[in-house]
Amino acid sequence: MTTEKAEKKPELIKVDIARPRTYKWSSGKYLGRVYKEALENKKLVANRCPKCKELIWQPAAVCGRCNVEAGEDWVVMSDKGTVVQYTYLVFPLWDPHYGDRLANPYPTATIKLDDDGVFLVHFLEERDPEKLKNVKRVQAVWKEEGRGRGLGDILYFRTIDE
Amino acid sequence: MGNRVAIVGIGQTFHKSNRKDVTLQEMVGEAVRAALLDAQMKTQDVEAVFTANMETFENIFLPDAMMADETAAFMKPGLKVATGGTAGASVVEEGFHFVASGLFDTALVIGFEKQDCGDTTAAITGAVTPVWGKGVATGAIGEFAKQALTYMQKTGAKEEHAAMVRLKADKGACRNPYAHLRLGLKSIKEVLDSGYLVWPLKFLEFCPQSSGACALIFASEQKARKITRKPVWIADLVTVHQEPFRAGSFGDPTGKEEYSQDIAVDRLYKRNGITNPIRDICMAEIYEPSNWEEMSHYEHYHFCPRNEGWKMVEKGMTEMEGEFPVNPSGGVIATNPIGATPTIRVAEAALQVRGDAGEHQVTRDVHTAMATALGGPNWTVATLLRRSL
Repeated sequence: MTTEKAEKKPELIKVDIARPRTYKWSSGKYLGRVYKEALENKKLVANRCPKCKELIWQPAAVCGRCNVEAGEDWVVMSDKGTVVQYTYLVFPLWDPHYGDRLANPYPTATIKLDDDGVFLVHFLEERDPEKLKNVKRVQAVWKEEGRGRGLGDILYFRTIDE
Repeated sequence: MGNRVAIVGIGQTFHKSNRKDVTLQEMVGEAVRAALLDAQMKTQDVEAVFTANMETFENIFLPDAMMADETAAFMKPGLKVATGGTAGASVVEEGFHFVASGLFDTALVIGFEKQDCGDTTAAITGAVTPVWGKGVATGAIGEFAKQALTYMQKTGAKEEHAAMVRLKADKGACRNPYAHLRLGLKSIKEVLDSGYLVWPLKFLEFCPQSSGACALIFASEQKARKITRKPVWIADLVTVHQEPFRAGSFGDPTGKEEYSQDIAVDRLYKRNGITNPIRDICMAEIYEPSNWEEMSHYEHYHFCPRNEGWKMVEKGMTEMEGEFPVNPSGGVIATNPIGATPTIRVAEAALQVRGDAGEHQVTRDVHTAMATALGGPNWTVATLLRRSL
């Protein structure tokens, strides 16, 4: 095993390298539909597996669990749901995809959408830690500006009384 | 199974937040030299070199090529593996397969990470396609926070139990000179009062960002017997992949999914005649990014019945002197150079089998030990080590 060398205070130079890069990702046919519906109609869509009849989320060409082609049975999902689990971050973070600064603290939740029960992870509007404990029923609030980011076209989920 | 494979050399660096005194390759070189020294081997005795890390963390595409001089890889065969959090265990599997196949008689296996280079949480968040957006915008930690909450609600475990796990880890880390966080915690109150990081996880309840490396030398049976009097045999190794759950998270809010941990250990136990894990295995080094995760893993690995992980903690069963010690090294919550973390689990388990763990050697005689790794999305690697085969 190694031993720690006596520190002689050598000249340590830290080299800062800022290396911005741009990427262009393809949405493909299936995710493309999610982006298009979100952008144009403020709707969340998913395709249904012909075998297990479960919604595939995120939409894809195959159902990996059934090993079959998923096909084009598209369903518009409810934008209401129930919070299954949540947390909130107490340290600041950047959205690595678009460079947005995420407010501090911000809560994220695993939300079970109504009807077909797809689970998705998204932000909550409620930021009060005490009130968060009681958040159950929520509904998507769509952005008006800067859309075209698929699921990111939803700003957050707002608490609803039901 | 192929030929028998033994661990004949073990080396690691001191793990710290910052290693500004060395370059990445120099840091890795420290672990390599330590392993060679431990095995009493020379660089030319190594036939092949296998490396692992999380490649976006240092933002270097071919670190293995860059490190060739320090890793004794010059003009030798080898591969680099990147399987996320499990990379450091996948590389153990890779080296094991190559030696077991008879292709090489010796192999050097290295896990490393220099997290002082970049922003780890941002790098992890970039693990998913941006086309899918928001999913893991909390890095790994948000997922483990939600799992902690689920565990609390499902099992009735209290924050005090998690704090006891953290205290146990620190006790081990303080006896392990290589551990990163050696805090000297005195009471669970210190953990409970450390403030929230990501609710309900507190500041002291999540692993640090460490820089460090761990190297192991593997040898075929014939070579191993010549190299050392204390070979540690890799009895078996299982990898199970579970691509994202329906919910796209580590936990399973759907209640419909199978956990890769369950499947991995079921296979491992069945193949190796293990019917009562905490009797047949003597100790474990498990991959617990948070103290809450450790209790949950006790259950997944069948160390105890479902929903009773916290009871093992309450009884002190997994303490260094306990009936079934877990993570006497201090574990991941004390030391987490991510690409090296699973390699360290195997290294520390092997040291326990050899009886060479020094101050953190467990009380129980360790003839069999298990090391596990956890990675996204839901991968498990379980490695079983034995003193004799």
